Amino acid sequence: MNCMLAGSLVWLAAMLVTMALLVVPGRALAHAALVATDPADGAVLTQSPGKFSLTFSEPVSPLVLTLVRPDGSQLALTSFRLKDQTVEIDNPEALKSGTHVLSWRVVSVDGHPVGGSALFSMGAPSAAPVAGEAVDWTLRAAIWLGKLFLYAGLFLGIGGAFALAWLAEDRRRGRRFVIAALLIGLVGAPLSLGLQGLDALGAPLARFATPAVWKTALETSFVWTVLLGLIALGLALLSLAGPSGLRKLAASVALLGVGAALAASGHASAAEPQWLTRPLVFLHGTAIAFWAGALAPLGLALRQQPAQAKVFLRRFSRAILPVVAVLAASGIVLAIIQLQQPAALIHTAYGRLLLLKLTLLLFLFTLASINRWTLTAPAVAGDTEVQRRMVRSIGIEMLIALAIFGVAAGWRFTPPPRALAIAAAQPVSIHIHTLKAMADLGITPGHAGEVAASMMIMTGEFGPLDAKEVTLVLSKPDSGIEPIKRPARKSGDGTWRIDNLVIPLPGRWDARLDILVSDFEVVKIEAPINIRAE
Amino acid sequence: MKKYILAAGALCALGTNAALAHITLETQEAAVGSTYKAVLRVPHGCEGKATTAVRVQIPEGVIAVKPMPKPGWTLQVKKGKYEKSYQLYGEALTTGVKEVDWSGGNLPDEFYDEFVFRASLAADLPAGQMLYFPVVQECGDAAERWIEIPAAGQDEDALETPAPGIKLLPKK
Repeated sequence: MNCMLAGSLVWLAAMLVTMALLVVPGRALAHAALVATDPADGAVLTQSPGKFSLTFSEPVSPLVLTLVRPDGSQLALTSFRLKDQTVEIDNPEALKSGTHVLSWRVVSVDGHPVGGSALFSMGAPSAAPVAGEAVDWTLRAAIWLGKLFLYAGLFLGIGGAFALAWLAEDRRRGRRFVIAALLIGLVGAPLSLGLQGLDALGAPLARFATPAVWKTALETSFVWTVLLGLIALGLALLSLAGPSGLRKLAASVALLGVGAALAASGHASAAEPQWLTRPLVFLHGTAIAFWAGALAPLGLALRQQPAQAKVFLRRFSRAILPVVAVLAASGIVLAIIQLQQPAALIHTAYGRLLLLKLTLLLFLFTLASINRWTLTAPAVAGDTEVQRRMVRSIGIEMLIALAIFGVAAGWRFTPPPRALAIAAAQPVSIHIHTLKAMADLGITPGHAGEVAASMMIMTGEFGPLDAKEVTLVLSKPDSGIEPIKRPARKSGDGTWRIDNLVIPLPGRWDARLDILVSDFEVVKIEAPINIRAE
Repeated sequence: MKKYILAAGALCALGTNAALAHITLETQEAAVGSTYKAVLRVPHGCEGKATTAVRVQIPEGVIAVKPMPKPGWTLQVKKGKYEKSYQLYGEALTTGVKEVDWSGGNLPDEFYDEFVFRASLAADLPAGQMLYFPVVQECGDAAERWIEIPAAGQDEDALETPAPGIKLLPKK
């Protein structure tokens, strides 16, 4: 019997490691950012297009694609193909005149869904129909709660089981608390997965039980977190209830499973360089579980049976310093990768959450230091007054730790500055096609400020056009700014470039290319281009 | 359209000055089948720089071109094949001047000068339409290109650097 159990345990552990390895070599860059749409945002068409296309900064899989007609009615676009980073969507109907919204929702490699929309008009623009990306606060609250449950199970439950297996003298103190936390985790994990599916589809909470939601959820990378988390939670339960010979092994594998589960998905794990971020997330998660998990059993043991808690306290205080060092070091490196600039701490929602977390950590570290260096020695020596103080302090530490989990769960909704920076660096590009000439114009980065423009010039029939000179004229008649006129220089690869161009304002600009075809012939082609604010 | 109206309005407000900034032809109408004396008026250099060369492209249907030499300027012509054969005083013309260059001169920005050539307007040119003579004005290594020809329905005033042109009148 024991042998069989040991065998299945080893098998489970092997599976855990294999899964972690499978997950690690991901190629995720960041949240996918939209690079181009066809029809271009703001385009005015004369003919109903046969298909639409969306090009992203990385491969994506579409979740919901909707066309909002000028009258506000919606048409679900279900026929599409993936070509590298481009999603080609079939348009099933002839469009009537007026402004349409192409609304999209895709999931990127990091498992997070992103959405947006592009406006274009048939014939002439009309008032834009409402296609709102309205925030579903009920769903958000549910997602947050599901994450918090999952964290409680992973950190307090599995961490607690580990502390009971390795550190505690009397394994009954805190056992009930740990089992409760594990059960919360076992509820939270599948709940979070279903909610991830809902969020990915942009569906309301009422559709939680729909198969499509779960199918979608199973296609995101978050499924690995849930799967590894469930296995680890199960192993932790086994360490509490199973035979004593397997207790320590099961608890250890479960603790490593926490790190693996967290490293399998999420913002931090998707960041580059992957060889660094995934192991760091693994270490960070494992260290949190070790620390936070030990608090409840330790506090309960100190309160109920101070005499027997001394060994527990001694072992914990010996191990905690290197663990906190790993926790802090991995946390700092991950924060630097995600933030990129100190200013992002204040300017982005992600940074502000990090700031809040750091503040809470400051309190936590202060309390923990007092416990470690002032209270531990007298508590171990048997000072009951100090032991009571310590129990109170551990209780507060637990509350702070829960608050930190709450903050970390909030990161689910804030793309890190790293991903924002990648999105901001994306160029905007337009294609201008006339009978006499056509051009691909790209502005990099595609937002107001200092940019570089590159132009590829061809004849109207896609042939080579050896232009003598190319001049870019950017004008924004509604801004009162004089047109910006800059000659381009021809670079080695045949494109025409303008460096150090400054676009003073975001918004819709008219881009005109004056192409000198021969000494006495100039071709002027123009099209609007949308410059982002950031 | 609004832009064009604004641009036209701006031109009106500036009056003749704006028109003077362009290189224009003194006589802006001529009958097809007649001899035309083209006087190119150069009112300016290129953004302050002195003009050093003026080059005119001769449009199809303008034949037997004879430019007037100018002291201080080197006069050259480029000859080429016409698209078809033209009858002039009983003779068939298939080649002729396609471009006239006055170069090597120096016309400071603050002075004015004229460049002259004489030509025959073929009898089968379409009366009632405009005929344009694209001009490149060179100022050392800078250049102004008076070569824009309005597209069908486009207002000539909307162009930044319009080519000088004449209106073709019916044959007398």
